[in-house]
Amino acid sequence: MGSMPEMYFNIDHGYLEGLVRGFKAGILKQGDYLNLVQCETLDDLKLHLQSTDYGNFLANEPSPLSVSVIDDKLKEKLVIEFQHLRNQCLEPLASFLDFITYSYMIDNIILLITGTLHQRPINELIPKCHPLGSFEQMEAIHIASTPAELYNALHTLLIAYLEDFYSFCNEMGGATADVMCEALQFEADRRAFIITINSFGTELSKEDRAKLYPRCGRLYPDGLSLLAKADDYDQVRAVADCYGGYRELFEGVGTNPGDKTLEDRFFEQEVKLMKNAFMQQYHFGAFYAYVKLKEQENRNIIWISECVAQRHRAKIDSYIPIF
Amino acid sequence: MGSVFRSAEMSLCQIFLQSEAAYTCVSELGELGLVQFKDLNPDVNAFQRKFVNEILRCDEMERKLRYIDKELKKDDMKIPDTGENPKAPAPKEMVDLEATFEKIESELREVNTNAEALRRNYLELSELKEVLKKTQNFFAEHGEGHHTIVDDAQNALVHDEMATTSATAVQLGFVAGVIPREKVPAFERLLWFACRGNVFLRIDEIAKPLEDPVTGDAIFKCVFIIFFQGEQLKLRVRKICEGFRATLYPCPESSQERSEMLNGVSTRLEDLNTVLHQTEDHRHRVLANCLKEIRNWIIKVKKIKAIYHTLNMCNFDVSHNSLIAECWTPVSALENVQQALSHGTELSGSTVPSILHRMHTKETPPTFFHTNKFTKVFQSIVHSYGIASYQEVNPALYTIITFPFLFAVMFGDLGHGFIMFLFGLWMVVMEKKLMSSKSDNEIWNMFFGGRYIIMLMGLFSVYTGFIYNDAFSKSLNMFGSSWHPNYSEPLLDSVETLVLDPEYEFDNVTGPYPFGLDPIWQASKNKITFTNSFKMKLSVILGIGQMLLGVMLSLVNHIYFRNPLNIFTEFIPEIVFLLCLFGYLVGLIFFKWATFTVHCSTCAPSLLIHFINMFLFSYTMPNDNFNYQCDHTNPKLTGCKATTVFYRYQNYAQIALVLGAVLCIPIMLCIKPFVLRARHNRKIRVSIES
Repeated sequence: MGSMPEMYFNIDHGYLEGLVRGFKAGILKQGDYLNLVQCETLDDLKLHLQSTDYGNFLANEPSPLSVSVIDDKLKEKLVIEFQHLRNQCLEPLASFLDFITYSYMIDNIILLITGTLHQRPINELIPKCHPLGSFEQMEAIHIASTPAELYNALHTLLIAYLEDFYSFCNEMGGATADVMCEALQFEADRRAFIITINSFGTELSKEDRAKLYPRCGRLYPDGLSLLAKADDYDQVRAVADCYGGYRELFEGVGTNPGDKTLEDRFFEQEVKLMKNAFMQQYHFGAFYAYVKLKEQENRNIIWISECVAQRHRAKIDSYIPIF
Repeated sequence: MGSVFRSAEMSLCQIFLQSEAAYTCVSELGELGLVQFKDLNPDVNAFQRKFVNEILRCDEMERKLRYIDKELKKDDMKIPDTGENPKAPAPKEMVDLEATFEKIESELREVNTNAEALRRNYLELSELKEVLKKTQNFFAEHGEGHHTIVDDAQNALVHDEMATTSATAVQLGFVAGVIPREKVPAFERLLWFACRGNVFLRIDEIAKPLEDPVTGDAIFKCVFIIFFQGEQLKLRVRKICEGFRATLYPCPESSQERSEMLNGVSTRLEDLNTVLHQTEDHRHRVLANCLKEIRNWIIKVKKIKAIYHTLNMCNFDVSHNSLIAECWTPVSALENVQQALSHGTELSGSTVPSILHRMHTKETPPTFFHTNKFTKVFQSIVHSYGIASYQEVNPALYTIITFPFLFAVMFGDLGHGFIMFLFGLWMVVMEKKLMSSKSDNEIWNMFFGGRYIIMLMGLFSVYTGFIYNDAFSKSLNMFGSSWHPNYSEPLLDSVETLVLDPEYEFDNVTGPYPFGLDPIWQASKNKITFTNSFKMKLSVILGIGQMLLGVMLSLVNHIYFRNPLNIFTEFIPEIVFLLCLFGYLVGLIFFKWATFTVHCSTCAPSLLIHFINMFLFSYTMPNDNFNYQCDHTNPKLTGCKATTVFYRYQNYAQIALVLGAVLCIPIMLCIKPFVLRARHNRKIRVSIES
C-alpha cells in the first residue's frame, strides 16, 4: 500500500494541515480590502481589522499608530502561527518548514552583511531582520573580516538553497512534488528574469550574471543561456515569449499609469500558483503557500496603510487581490 | 413572569429616544437586561458609524486599564472583588476617567523606565564587581612555580623562537568581561577560528545568578579574560564580544588599583540598592492607590462601550433630533421597559419623554425563556440539543424530572447515590459562599453550575437503589426474603450450589419482597440473567413512554399553531407507528408479567423472538389441544415452547399491526411535501395574477 501515501498523511500531519487550512480561511477577502481602502485614518484600519481573523492584535498599541508598528505586529502574528506549526510537526514536515525559513535566514544574512559593509552598528540592523529567519549566532555575522567575499558566497548560497529545496520536494514525490516543484521553478525563473533586468547598466559581466542563475527552473538550460546573452529589455521579453505562461506576464507591463510593473505581474502569478496549491489535499505545499500568501497579504495591508497614512490615495488600489 | 411551558411571548417595539436622553435610557435598559436591540445599520462599516470616536476612546481606556492590570499582576497584587456593580457614568465623566487613567499610566511607565535603568546599572556594577574579584584570582600567584596567568598566556601564545626566559616577555594586552553561560562554547569556538588560535582565554563561572533588568529572570553568566598580542587581534576580539552580547569591563592591571575599584564599586552598589528599593516602594504605592478602584473602572468602561455599540445600531432622525431603536422584548416586561425609559429620561434631565410603541411584524420573534437558578441548568441541557422556535412547547419543564430519573435508572446504587446527593446538597446549601469565591477552574465550575441536577440525580438514585436493592453493590435485607430453601442441613453443607424451584421454595403465602428486588438474588449465580431481563423490559417501557410523551407534546404544538396538515400527516402516522409496533411490545411485556406463572413457565414466550417473527411474518402454531391457559398441562402434549403463539388469533392481530405501521410510512413521507408544493405553487400563481 505504499502507492497511497494519502492514506497515512493524516496520522502525522492531519492536525497541522487542518490548522493551516483554517489560517488560510482567515486570509482577507476582497470585501475586506474594499473596506480597508475606504479608511481615512490608521485607527479606522485597526477598527476594521478587529472584525477579521487579526482580532485585537493592535489592541495594546498606544495611539497614534504608525505604519511600522502595524508592520511589526503583522509579522509577529505570522511568526507566532508559523512557530506553532513548527513546534507541533514531525518529520518530514519539520525539514520542509525549516527549508521555508532558510530563505528568510539568507535574506537576513544579506541584510546584516550589507549593513556591516556600510559601517552600521549591529544594534540598528538586528531589529530590521525578519523574525522568521532569526537564528543563533546571527549577531556574530558582523565580525566577518572580508564581507565582500562572503557577499558573492551568499549568492551561490541562495542558488544552492533553491536547488536543494527543489530536489527535497522532488524526492518527496506525490502531490507535494507536483505543487512545490512548480512553485520553485517559477521562483527560480523569476529570479533569473529579475537579475537579468536589474543587471542592465551595471558592471556585472555576462559570465558573472550567468553564474547567478538558479538551475532548477523551466528556463534551464536554453532559456538561461539566452538570458545570459541578453543586452536589453526586449531581448529578455523575446526569451519569455518562447515559454508559455511567461509570455502573458510581460504583457501589459509599462510605466504608464494603469499599467503594472513586472514585479506586480510576478506577484500576481505567484498568488495564483499558491491558491492552486490548496486545491489538492495531503501535501506540504499548503504550508508553503500559506506563508507566501500571508506575506503577500502583509504587503497589501502595509501598502494600503502607507497610502492612508500619507493621504495619497491615487494608487491605493494597486494591491494584489488574493481571494 | 412567564411560564416554563412555552417560550415567552415577544413583541417588537420601536423606541424614540431624544438625543440628550439616549445615553442614560440605554444605560437603564442595559441594567434591566430584558431587551434585544436590532441592528438598523447592517450595511454600515464599523468605522463609519456615528459613535465610532467614543468607541475608540473606550478602546484606548481599556488598553490603559489592561496595562495597569498587568502591572498589578506582576506585583502579585490581587484585585479585591467587592461584588459591586456600578452603573455606567455619564458621558461628561468619561473625560475625567480618561484623564485619571492617562495620569496613572504615564506615572507607571515612568517608574518602570526608571526602575529598569536602575536595574541595568545595578547589573553592570554587579558584573564589574565579579570581574574584579575573579581577575584578582586569575592574576594571583598560584602553583609551586609561582606561575601567573600572564606566564601561562605567554607560554601559550609566544612562539619558542623567542627566548624562553621571562626577561624577554612580550607585552600582552587583555580584555575582561562577562558573557551568558550558554554562549560560552560557541564563543570559545568562534574565538579559536577567527583569531587562528592566537588568543588565550580563561573562563570562570559566576556562582549566583544575576537579574535581567527587563524581565526579572535569573541569568547565569561567566567571567572571561582574553589575552592577545597586537592591535588587530584586539579589534577582532572586541567585535566577537559585541556579536555575542558579552559586556567588556575596563580592568586595571595592578592589583592595588583593582582593590580600590572593588571598594568603590561595592559602595556604589549599596547606594543603588537603596535607590532601587525606594523606586519599588513608589511603584507599589501608585499601584496600591488604584487597587481599590480598578475593578469598578473596568466595569464602567465596559458598560460605556456597550452603550455606544448599542447606540450605533439605532437610526438617527435628523429632523426631530432623536434616535430610533428597534428591539425585541417580552410582552410581560413591557411595563418594566417603560419604567426604565422614563427613569432614564428623568436622570438625563431632558423634558421630552422617550416613546415606546409596539410594532406588528410578520418576522419570527426570538425565543426567550425566563429561568431562575434552578431551571437554568435544565434549560441549558435542552439548548445543547437545539433551541426551540418561538412559542414551541419547552421540553425543559419535563427534563427537570425525566433527566435525573433516567440517570438514576442507569445508576441505581443506594450508597453511591446517597453520596452524590450529599455532594449536591452541600453545593446547594453553600451556594452563596461558593459563588462569591469565583474560581477559574473549569471543571469545578461545571460541577457547581449543575449543583441542582446533581442533587436530584443523587436523590433519584437512592430511590432506584432501593428498587434494584443495590447499596455499594451489596443487597440490603430489610423485610426478610420470600425464598425459603427446602434442603436439609448436611446437604446444604456439602454442596456448593443448589437450585431453588420457585414452585416449591417460594413463599406464596406472604407474597413477594415488599419493595424492590429480593435480597436472595445477591447470592444466586443467575442474578445477572434475571436482572438483565427485568432492566431491559423496564428500559423499553420507560423509553417508549418518554417517546410517547414527546409525540403528544408535538400534538400540543400543532394545535397551538393551528396546523391541521401537521396533525394528519405527522402526528397521526407517528402515533400509529409508535403504538402499533412499540406500544404493542410494551403491552406484551405487561401481559407476560401478568399472566405467566411458574406453572406454565416452559410456555412463557420469548418476547424478543416473537417481535422478530412479527416482522418476518413467521408463526409457530401450538398443537390443537392448547387452550391458551396457564396450567400444569404437559408442554410436550400441547407443543408450546417459547416461540409458539401464546394467545388466540395472535398471528392475525400482529399481521394487522405490522401492515398498519408500514402503511404509515408513505403517509409520513409523501403527503406533506406534495401538499406544501401545491400551496407554494398556488401562492406564486396568485402573486403573478395580482
